[in-house]
Amino acid sequence: MKSMHKKRKLDAVIFHVVACVIGFFMIYPMLWLLASSFKSNETMFTNTYSLIPEVFDAATNYMNAWEGVAGVSFLTFLGNTVFVTVLAMVGCVFISLLAAYAFTRIKFLGGKFWFSCVMVTLMIPSQVMVVPQYIILRRLNLVDTRIALVLPWFFGTAFFIFMLVQFFRGVPKELDEAAEIDGCGKIAILFKILVPVVKPAIMTASIFAFYWVWQDFFQPLIFMNTPSKFTLSLALNLFLDPNTYNNYGALFAMSLLSLLPALIIFIIFQRYLVEGIAMDGIKG
Amino acid sequence: MKKRMKKLASLLLASAMVFSLAACGSSGNDADGGSDSSDGKTTIKITWWGGDSRHEYTQALLDAYTAENPNVEFEATPAGWEGYFDKLSTQAASGSMPDIVQMDYLYIATYAKNGSLADLSEFIEDGTIDTTNVDDATLNTGLIDGKMAGIVAGTNALAVTYNPEVLEAAGVEAPTDDWTWDDYIALNTAVSESTGEESALTATIGPFGDMNFFNYYVRQHGETLFNEDGTALAFEDDSITADYFQMWADMASANVTPDPDEQSQIATLGIESLPVVTGEAGTTLEWNTYPNKVVASNPNLKLALMPGATENNAMWLKPGMFWSVSESSKVKEECAKFINWMINSEEANDIIMAERGVPISSEIRDYLKSKEDVDQTMIDMFDYVDKVTEIAGECPAADPGGIAEINKAFNDAGNSVMYGQATAEEAAASFRTQANEILERNNG
Amino acid sequence: MKNKVKEYKRRDNIAGYVMLAPWLFGFVLMYFLPMLISIYYSFTDYNLLNDAQVIGFDNYVRIFTNDDTFWQALKVTFIYTIFLVPLRLAFALIVAMLLNTKHRGLGLYRTIYYIPSIIGGSIAVSIVWQQIFGNKGVVMSLLSVLGINQEVSLLGNPKTALAVIILMGVWQFGSSMLIFLAALKQIPGSLYESAMVDGAKKPTIFFKITLPMLTPTIFFNLILQMVNGFRVFTESYVITDGGPLDSTLSYVLYLYRRAFTYFDMGYSCALAWILVIIIAVFTVVLFKTQNNWVYYESGGE
Repeated sequence: MKSMHKKRKLDAVIFHVVACVIGFFMIYPMLWLLASSFKSNETMFTNTYSLIPEVFDAATNYMNAWEGVAGVSFLTFLGNTVFVTVLAMVGCVFISLLAAYAFTRIKFLGGKFWFSCVMVTLMIPSQVMVVPQYIILRRLNLVDTRIALVLPWFFGTAFFIFMLVQFFRGVPKELDEAAEIDGCGKIAILFKILVPVVKPAIMTASIFAFYWVWQDFFQPLIFMNTPSKFTLSLALNLFLDPNTYNNYGALFAMSLLSLLPALIIFIIFQRYLVEGIAMDGIKG
Repeated sequence: MKKRMKKLASLLLASAMVFSLAACGSSGNDADGGSDSSDGKTTIKITWWGGDSRHEYTQALLDAYTAENPNVEFEATPAGWEGYFDKLSTQAASGSMPDIVQMDYLYIATYAKNGSLADLSEFIEDGTIDTTNVDDATLNTGLIDGKMAGIVAGTNALAVTYNPEVLEAAGVEAPTDDWTWDDYIALNTAVSESTGEESALTATIGPFGDMNFFNYYVRQHGETLFNEDGTALAFEDDSITADYFQMWADMASANVTPDPDEQSQIATLGIESLPVVTGEAGTTLEWNTYPNKVVASNPNLKLALMPGATENNAMWLKPGMFWSVSESSKVKEECAKFINWMINSEEANDIIMAERGVPISSEIRDYLKSKEDVDQTMIDMFDYVDKVTEIAGECPAADPGGIAEINKAFNDAGNSVMYGQATAEEAAASFRTQANEILERNNG
Repeated sequence: MKNKVKEYKRRDNIAGYVMLAPWLFGFVLMYFLPMLISIYYSFTDYNLLNDAQVIGFDNYVRIFTNDDTFWQALKVTFIYTIFLVPLRLAFALIVAMLLNTKHRGLGLYRTIYYIPSIIGGSIAVSIVWQQIFGNKGVVMSLLSVLGINQEVSLLGNPKTALAVIILMGVWQFGSSMLIFLAALKQIPGSLYESAMVDGAKKPTIFFKITLPMLTPTIFFNLILQMVNGFRVFTESYVITDGGPLDSTLSYVLYLYRRAFTYFDMGYSCALAWILVIIIAVFTVVLFKTQNNWVYYESGGE
């Protein structure tokens, strides 16, 4: 019994040592960003990879970051980003769920064709899509509106549909067949039976969706004109011109501030990842 | 069979839509530039690239103009350098360019030749844009195919920036106006030996990253880089290119100038932290605006003429950037008035403070120099332009279409010599083949 | 599948399209039409500023017969994908298994491991990577301590720069890890319990239960990472900008340059569709193999 206990302790020590070593490599750039956001502009690159600021100037940097850029405050950018991200994420996850359900559980005419369309959208580089998208958005009078940033995500994206399809296929069909016999409709089956089972996948999808929309740069760059409607990733770009004096301190402070919400969302959502769902009871 | 027909029909329908969409893209009739509204107010859409401080003062500039001219309002789109032209070309594709556009010398010809930029000659002729104090050679850099595609926002000229303290510590004399490339190499070798660091920097991009450096070198030989219609290289002697490559490669292997590897490290530092500013390097090849840009980090940097600047009128005054008006704009005259104000009014230049380059109006230059609180670096910058004006030759024609691709080919060719993958002669020949192919494809 | 006659129930057709409708709407508007437009562009000489001129297959012909950079970019992208996909997946799976145990502080580790994926292509990352692998960076110092003195840094050397880019891709294993974690959580605990009761050893449990149950996710991750590998852009853009000497020039970075830097949108679209075909071929092949190794609880198709 005692040796068992000892072994478990040793296990834990090894685990934490390995996990911490990996962790250091993962977190170093984040720490560097944090440290750099405390450095004064003049000493920013004198000892670049040191994590300890020579001249501590966090107050100026964060004040500058908070004031924002181009006369628009940080909070405005944050508000825009939250608006776009939340709307896009909710739409994306919900509509992807419906589509994934249709693809896996319903046999309908053209299903395979549309699924291959999903796969093609996964493959085409977005760089050649943005000009036609811009032309269409202009036709719809949506250029320079936040809706333009929501639209490409809101109706679901290939990644999520494909991901949820894979997870649905991992769920035994007996589950929904049993429910169907009990008289459940398709919508009820999806939300009452399948969704709880693939909850970790949905949480994962939500985390990804949030982060992707949050940091998306290229589409906002092309679609938006007015600084007061800019998202954070676009605002950060406003700091940078290789041929003029750059306010790196404020840039790094703002980068860090803009990463925090994505990190917080992750910390909140990841708790749900842990909750495994027991399918045991239902599975024959 | 029926199913097939249906499929075919829907496909046809879809493609019809596509074509109508794609076609509407390039026609300019649905432009959404600025407008004259019925209450007599004019809205001007304006865009520029820059960093934090440029956005701030440009917004102040617009506000000042609106205060003076209450009938004019602005819709400003500030942007970072990255993606600025991606966005502009997308807007051009759908006929929705802003009215006033900050334009770079690299791209002005491409935009002008495709009819995206308005011809401003009429506004110069009728005096809306007053150019009496502007040097003709400078003004005409905006002239493309006989049309005035942009008004120069500020000029600059190639210059050597040096750090007097570093030179002094190494015990070398500051460069004189008649120094040569040999002097340049000797000076930097001496500094490098004393500091143990590479002394001869070339901006953040290296000696091959900006065609202007090479263009200067070609002009020193009394030759021209590109032919008139931009379809081929104009100079014929590949030994010019090879000598240029070899000169830098030799300096790199003697640790007098950074190799491409070290160069990419330097590029991440940003202009204000280059070794010449921090006192690790003696000189850098840059534009004459450089010391003034980094005055906050080091106010002591000095300008010297380029090595061999007096040979063959090799120097020229280059437009730093332009103000252009889009062809699709409906308020061209108001735009012209605003551009005139930026160029000629003391009030505007009190705000701009030569941040976009040396003002093109000689009167404004004198005015700024006479101001009390002006930095020494700014006076140096202006004096340098005066000095260059005396010895300068004609400004080379606006960069031909495909310049970005040529620049890339040149950079790769030069770096391949530095990496020892090709001899200078091979690289020079390879550059010629590539450059001519690109030029022929783009402008032929 | 003995009888190939397909039967679609009318009710299922309606249900299917009702549930697909929202996606279909967005798809047609934001993806399908733009795709058709870009196909059209690929047959034109179009620089975004002029009126597109239809030139037939000229762009495609030029790509295959007169463009060395195309082949270079293709080569870089293949090497990147071939190394990245297995490395990233293996690493993600190992870490996910590690985190699927009962220890303290798992949430913290999960968060930390996901951080690289969050800060992805930001300017901070590009500076840090250049500092670490650049010529005065930590890695160079380490190498010289080990007695390996190199003239150029790993990032500045055309022979090694791509390896650094691949390493960066592996470093961002966070999203694959999360997907594996989600899948591991979905494996019914009862399976393990009964195996334990039967006295199975850990490796046996892994190969007999965990791995088969994970195959749909591995398959998904495999497809996804392959597609992402072929479409790699950010890493080579922010760290090396394709250099030195095109040694890290990814395919998408090249087509991006064609479109927006070299004003060659028609050509760029042609490049894009060639890439789609390449990826599609690999995807179809992978889909065909899945019957041999992917195990679906729902009984496949």
